[in-house]
Amino acid sequence: MDYREIVLSALQSLRRNILRTSLTMLGIIIGITSVILIASIGQGAVKFITNELSVFGTNYFQIVPGNNFQSTISGGVTPLTRDDVEAIRNEASFTNIEEVAPFAFTSKKVTAEGDDKSGVIYGITPEAETLLQPDMLYGEFISEEHNDANEKVAVLGKDIAEELFGAETNPVGESIRIGNKRFKVIGVSKSPGGFAGNFINDAVNIPLNTLITHITGEDELVEIDISVKDEDLINETIADVEVFMRERHDLEEGDENDFSIQSFLDVIGTVQTITTLLTTMIAAISGISLIVGGVGVMNIMLVSVTERTREIGLLKAIGAKQKDILAQFLIESVVMSVIGGVIGILLGIGGAFTIATVVGIPFVTSIPWILLAVGMSTLVGVVFGLYPARRAAGLSPIDALRHE
Amino acid sequence: MSKKTPLIELRNVIKQYPVGDGEFYQALNGVDLEVHEGEFIAIMGPSGSGKSTLMHIMGALDSPTKGKQFFKGKDISHYSEDQLAAIRNKDIGFVFQSFNLMPRTTVLKNVERPMMYAGIPHKERTKRALHALKRMKIDDKAENLSNHISGGQIQRVAIARALVMDPAIILADEPTGNLDTKTAEEIMTFFADLNKKGRTIVIITHEENIAAFAKRRIRIVDGKIVFSKQTRK
Repeated sequence: MDYREIVLSALQSLRRNILRTSLTMLGIIIGITSVILIASIGQGAVKFITNELSVFGTNYFQIVPGNNFQSTISGGVTPLTRDDVEAIRNEASFTNIEEVAPFAFTSKKVTAEGDDKSGVIYGITPEAETLLQPDMLYGEFISEEHNDANEKVAVLGKDIAEELFGAETNPVGESIRIGNKRFKVIGVSKSPGGFAGNFINDAVNIPLNTLITHITGEDELVEIDISVKDEDLINETIADVEVFMRERHDLEEGDENDFSIQSFLDVIGTVQTITTLLTTMIAAISGISLIVGGVGVMNIMLVSVTERTREIGLLKAIGAKQKDILAQFLIESVVMSVIGGVIGILLGIGGAFTIATVVGIPFVTSIPWILLAVGMSTLVGVVFGLYPARRAAGLSPIDALRHE
Repeated sequence: MSKKTPLIELRNVIKQYPVGDGEFYQALNGVDLEVHEGEFIAIMGPSGSGKSTLMHIMGALDSPTKGKQFFKGKDISHYSEDQLAAIRNKDIGFVFQSFNLMPRTTVLKNVERPMMYAGIPHKERTKRALHALKRMKIDDKAENLSNHISGGQIQRVAIARALVMDPAIILADEPTGNLDTKTAEEIMTFFADLNKKGRTIVIITHEENIAAFAKRRIRIVDGKIVFSKQTRK
């Protein structure tokens, strides 16, 4: 069969009723446009979130107490302590470990110049600077000496500094009160990331030892962050640390961990999985409109078969077999849906680019999604064109020739 | 001539159409007919006489309800739709009264179409189509759209298309029904010319002056052949 000729004649007959063809295509166009638009924006969002989270670095992991969320809040878990930190630091076999940064926190009233505010107080060590890489707006970060000497010094997050001292003010050298203790402000830091860094910008950071000695009185850490030298070996390092921690906590074989280890790669992976799932779901739902478009194609093809019954009779008289007529009408509906699909893809990409630019997320075009869209529109053409085409092919030549 | 295998042979052909309520309309009522190579036949009859049904069966567009239908000696009474399509494509050229051409398609593409179904390559199709159009003296309209030419021109294109597969027989159903007398005679002259060169032609008509071009006249009334006479050699 001469497919080139059939496609050309399909195009010709679609052009004959350009208004009708365009209106029919509209259903397909809307379906494909929305699928491409949502897929592209969804993937842009995933990329955006991944980028944001990567600010924290994908080269570290964290150990938190408890083996799940429930045990953490219900208490009764083996705490992580400064001894754990020291033990990890001193373990010679951990050659891939770069820095070990313990964190503790508490929530206290923070006061400066009479204004008070409830704030999160982090107890940290100098290693945190390596891990979090905050931008120092003023002053300096917490040092080894500050921590060793239990000094009452504080590095304020940018936002809390503004709330306590006003914008564009350098508070270094000023005092704040945490609870009833007086601390000297030695620096203001800002998270390098966007939304992900908000908690850094809201926190008051003081030396870990100072927090434990002067404020909480308990040697309990909320997490230990560990950065690695070689990111590719992070999973091996995590496994080693897990074994090490189980030994330290005297866990028998078969006991569950009383701590959890997670890496940012895990977190990013989870976020990606969720966002991709959501994107796929929404795209699939918007794909339902393709069915509506397909019904439109079927409807118009049925009309076309009826209108062209005489022509079908003529073609059969001059020797068209059933498959020739079938191919002619099927190709016509496929050509119509594929053209609709291509227009939809272009509109979808254009729309996604515009929205990405306006909202400020990365613009992503995904070849698999585009191929999927082409495939879907072809499928719609075949599925919804098949019944009308079979009807045309099955007409008896006599009835078709007699049709008025 | 009668000893040779006829091109078309109908043996006691009965054709019934259901008309609802289990009733049938008997369009053909036991027709026997032979068409031999080189004949030029005019089938005449009042409307409703069954002459169109007869032509449909002769042209392998339809199968008889009862009786036998032979084409070139082969019993095709029980051929499938696609087998009949192959015979029509290769051996039968149709010219209808109206709606002969695909609308808004060029004359050339119309004439090429039967060759497309026969699987003839594109170049060859164009060559043969142009040749047939030239034969019907209408090759200057090859690139015109079929709805942009006159009624007489349309019939000439239809004959060109009927010829393009070099068929055994040309069947024409009132080919001059929509034409003025002068154009009708022009078209009939083409048919007569083709017949002179050996082409078998069967024409359905109810006009005497058209039937006068043929060499044999068959009259059909109420689904039966009532008269068949050689009018000239």
